[in-house]
Amino acid sequence: MTSHTGRLYATAFGLVVFFLAWALVAARPWSTAAADPRLKTLAAREARLRSEARLVNKVVAQRWVLYRRELRVRSAQIASAKARAAQLAVVSSVAAPAAGSVRVVTLPPLTITRTS
Amino acid sequence: MERRVFRAMGTEIELLVDADGADAALEAAEQEFHRLESLLSRFRADSQLSRLNRDGVVEAGHDLLRVVALSLDGRERTGGRFDPTVHDALVAAGYDRTFDEISSTARSDTWLPAAAGGDVTIDGERIQLEPGVRLDLGGIGKGYAAERAAELLATAGPCLVNAGGDIALRDGSWPVGVDDALTLELSNCGLATSGRDRRHWRRGERELHHLIDPSTGEPSDSDVLHVTVVASDAVEAEIAAKGLFLAGAERACAEADAAGTPAVIVTGDGRRLLAGGIA
Repeated sequence: MTSHTGRLYATAFGLVVFFLAWALVAARPWSTAAADPRLKTLAAREARLRSEARLVNKVVAQRWVLYRRELRVRSAQIASAKARAAQLAVVSSVAAPAAGSVRVVTLPPLTITRTS
Repeated sequence: MERRVFRAMGTEIELLVDADGADAALEAAEQEFHRLESLLSRFRADSQLSRLNRDGVVEAGHDLLRVVALSLDGRERTGGRFDPTVHDALVAAGYDRTFDEISSTARSDTWLPAAAGGDVTIDGERIQLEPGVRLDLGGIGKGYAAERAAELLATAGPCLVNAGGDIALRDGSWPVGVDDALTLELSNCGLATSGRDRRHWRRGERELHHLIDPSTGEPSDSDVLHVTVVASDAVEAEIAAKGLFLAGAERACAEADAAGTPAVIVTGDGRRLLAGGIA
């Protein structure tokens, strides 16, 4: 009886060892898989998308800063305009939002404007 | 300083960026011009603007929506002097193809002006034109494209975008020549020049140009040769420049002074007038 049980355990153990060895060999850990061209394409696409996402994030951040700056300027303009509104007899029809800064200089120009 | 020059929107585009290794940003800015041209050009049959003009209605993308909204806002603020509905008047006068092709085209000496004006409605993403109304977004489209390109270029550093005279800036101070004897140093603003000294042609005895007076449907007979305006950005400058051009020299000076809008006005007889705080 003891001998029979022992053989059963030995057989079961042998089967487990056999399948483990099979799985190990089937995995072929020694072989270097050839790179799938689709994976290369996907990796390149991922890199491009990451790069574009960085650019978009930069633009969004700049727009946010610009928006906040313009909002401050606009708020100040609105407050100032409200204060002056009663005194203004005529509102110019070509009033453009205020420019940053402009002054006449004697430097050589980096570019020129002309009729567009 | 890096510089790139190319052609788009029927004019020469110049990109300047005060940074090294800005190739990617320069390329992105150039591509932005080509992308916007493919949407906003009235000379491209497949553009969104051409579809709108052909069908009278279009589900527009963000850029066309924005430019049309800006131009309608400009029409309201200038009391109709700036008006995007001058398309048919431009075509009637002879500006029915790219400007490079106009000079080589034979035309009859007579022509009938076409009316400008008419309803343009924006409902969500849908733009609808009143029957018979068509839009030209040439000038404001260049200003808008200059601003969008400057936004992309600014990721590399302080920059200037010059779209055939419509100039957008981001950071830094930039000397910009208005003519041989006048240079303005600009920062954090936009600049545009409108005039009849460049895009003009002849029909019979009459010299025509592309600046249509919406009230008559004909090229304006303003005594201004060209006007340069500095404003918060290139789009605002473009709108204000058109408005001041149509006002005529004397009134343009008064309006620019009253509004504090820096402007350089050159008259047909060669006088140069500085207004709006430029001294």
